[in-house]
Amino acid sequence: MNKKLLTQLYNERRSNAWLLIELLLVSVVLWYIVDSLFVTFSTYTEPRGFDITNTYNIEMGYYDEKSLDYIPNQTDKELNSDMRELIDRLRRHPAVEAVSASLTSYPYNGTNNMILAQIDTMQSNNRVIWRRVTPDFFRVFRYQGANGETPEQLAALLKGDVFMASRNLFQAQYNVDLKDFVNRSFILGGDTTNYYPLVATLENVRYTDFTQACKSTTIVSLLNENWLDHTVELCIRVREGASPTFAEDLMTEASKQYCVGNIFMFKVTSFETIRQNFQLTEMNYTRKDLVGVGFLLVNVFLGLLGTFWFRTHQRRAEIALMMAFGGSKRAMFKRLMSEGLLLLVVVTPLAMLINFNIAYAELTYSWNFTFYSVERFFICVFSTFALIALMILLGIWFPARKAMKIQLAETLHDD
Amino acid sequence: MKMINYLFRQAWSQLKQQPLLTVVSILGTALTICLIMVMVMQQQIKVVPFAPESNRDRLLHIKWGSVNSESFGKKYVANGPISYKTAKACFRGLNSAEVVSFYSMNLSMQVKLPLAEGKGVDVKQTDASFFQIFDFVFIDGKPFMQADSDAGLPVAVITESVAKYLFDTAAVSGRELLVNNVPYRIAGVVKDVSSLASTAYSQVWIPYLSTQMTTGGQFNWMDGHLGYLSVVILAKQKSDFESIRAECDRRVETHNKSIENCSLFFRGQPDNQLTMSKHTNATSAPDMQDYFIHQLMIVLILLLVPAINLSSMTQSRLRQRVSEIGVRRSFGATRSEIMGQIVVENLVLTLIAAFIGLVFCFIFATLWGDLLFTESSMTYLNTAPAIEWQMLFNASTFIYALLFSLLLNLLSSGFPAWKASKIAIVNALTGKTH
Repeated sequence: MNKKLLTQLYNERRSNAWLLIELLLVSVVLWYIVDSLFVTFSTYTEPRGFDITNTYNIEMGYYDEKSLDYIPNQTDKELNSDMRELIDRLRRHPAVEAVSASLTSYPYNGTNNMILAQIDTMQSNNRVIWRRVTPDFFRVFRYQGANGETPEQLAALLKGDVFMASRNLFQAQYNVDLKDFVNRSFILGGDTTNYYPLVATLENVRYTDFTQACKSTTIVSLLNENWLDHTVELCIRVREGASPTFAEDLMTEASKQYCVGNIFMFKVTSFETIRQNFQLTEMNYTRKDLVGVGFLLVNVFLGLLGTFWFRTHQRRAEIALMMAFGGSKRAMFKRLMSEGLLLLVVVTPLAMLINFNIAYAELTYSWNFTFYSVERFFICVFSTFALIALMILLGIWFPARKAMKIQLAETLHDD
Repeated sequence: MKMINYLFRQAWSQLKQQPLLTVVSILGTALTICLIMVMVMQQQIKVVPFAPESNRDRLLHIKWGSVNSESFGKKYVANGPISYKTAKACFRGLNSAEVVSFYSMNLSMQVKLPLAEGKGVDVKQTDASFFQIFDFVFIDGKPFMQADSDAGLPVAVITESVAKYLFDTAAVSGRELLVNNVPYRIAGVVKDVSSLASTAYSQVWIPYLSTQMTTGGQFNWMDGHLGYLSVVILAKQKSDFESIRAECDRRVETHNKSIENCSLFFRGQPDNQLTMSKHTNATSAPDMQDYFIHQLMIVLILLLVPAINLSSMTQSRLRQRVSEIGVRRSFGATRSEIMGQIVVENLVLTLIAAFIGLVFCFIFATLWGDLLFTESSMTYLNTAPAIEWQMLFNASTFIYALLFSLLLNLLSSGFPAWKASKIAIVNALTGKTH
């Protein structure tokens, strides 16, 4: 049976050539997209290290001298106490669980500060995101400690000139877990005159849902309450079960309740919205990848459908003859299907060779600092194979079914 | 003409004989054209002129500047929008340009009426020239005057929807509103602008001299070289671009001689509209060659895969018709005529499919335009991007669609046609394909 199939495949090599070229091209391109989706999906499903449900960002403004309500000649100290008053008022809101102020710290944030950390001979890379926060920041975004600290415990630990860092701070260069460095002192920002104790290690905090944990490192230190003014980020967490229209409700109270000195609130945005906005471009890339997969698969389906439609039509006599000699419909059906699958089996080793070279040349996306692993390579090759095989079966199914329905006597008679 | 008519009729009847294959081929082609056209449109929407950016092909942009600085013996570069001081020194009153305007990035500000609740809207700070470059549709009133913007008077142009939010009517020129609690007189009301008109877009326009934009410490940095402003230049005609660029270079060079400890540079700017749309960050110029190669690769794959498919089907179809080709040849048809016939036959199919594909593309664009055309930068604005048919229905859109379908047609029928025309007459007559 198999030998016959191979002979037939060889005899029809001219029309099979088109299919083979197409399957090869599709195998390689589809694998590339599947591989990229594999990286995207693996990244997306990693733990994020923070929680944005029920959190909101508040934007503030400052009246300038032309403004009607401008209070002239304010000192920095007055500005600071106004800001603290605003935070206190928000804390007193019955629906609010925690309020934090921070600098370039909240998740899905395009503005960043970087800082360098050193200990002994080890040094972090220069892309560590520096988050300066008030202790409640941990409660707002529910950061977790690597040694099991709760957000509340972390908040209590952030006092004075101390800092916390994500456990992967040195992972890229030295492959060490920072968990074991708690209570040791580090040099921060190249300032060799001061040492800062690491009071807790944090679970990795991802930069975005599309940034791998291994590439998101962070250092958190205290934002001094005496520095607070209207330029800080103001984030709040509301209690479970608070009104879904919380943001709008807060804004309607804003001009009476939350206008202190020259500071006023003008926009409340949920972090769910901020997240969507920030990641729109990446989301679109993922969508484009998926459209690419769909396009290639539809083409395989249409190609096989068209070719086998002809083939079964041409082979009517042959099929009728085989059936007349006792071949069952099922056997015929299976035979046509295996013919299509065999084409795919023939091109797959060649496609794998090309794919491997593409991965080896590091033209793919990196995942945990590598461009290929045996596991990832085979998962992606297999998924590609399965997807194409499915399309081949679907494409052949229609013509094969039609071929099964031929009237034996008439067909044989015609020929 | 008669010949062509005949060819088309012949093609049509051929296609009708194999309905399934015709449907399969048409679907494959339509899908391809649809995807390619979505790609084309994503680019078109950034460069094709539509109101108020009707002059896009005559625009040059300087979105950001960079400062090379040296302090404490360390060299570093700062990047971002430029200050009023820099903009004035390097770009104001260019002789080779028609109009030059400065504008700020959109800042979220609060608009309200006294004693009422306010709302955050996008505010752009600019000058009177801005309204010469962009043809806003004024529903009421008119742009603010050169004299107003030069004197920094608190005057504003607002969109229809802002006017309706505040006053419940659009005829409000001459009345007053509060922008971040500062009273402004409304000079005019314009039709809402889609954020896809990335340079012109805003909801409220006020003179930058009426705020602290040009002087305030928080808006000016790097010794006042960088700030919050960008520059847009309207050329008299496209051919002036080179002389405008040269003049800008000269002005920047002169300006650099007058400042100390640092020098300004603009990373290849002024950009034309397309380059500007790819110039998404201040720290590097876009690699346009890389961008074109990337686009080309995608189009190539989009064309190649279905072309192989269609070739295979065309060849299968021709196999059944070898004897017909034999007859034609023996009655004197030349090889090129046979080839021509097959290519034209396919062309009919391709054109039908291309039309369907284009219709699908327009449907997608209208239904899911926000998915197709929105970029992250637009999501920080206070309005969603609106898509209007003028942005999509454009002569060039149809030319591209036609071009790609012809290309696909040649790719998919060229080889089978050439093969078919080469069959020897005797073989063809007896139905042998090779």
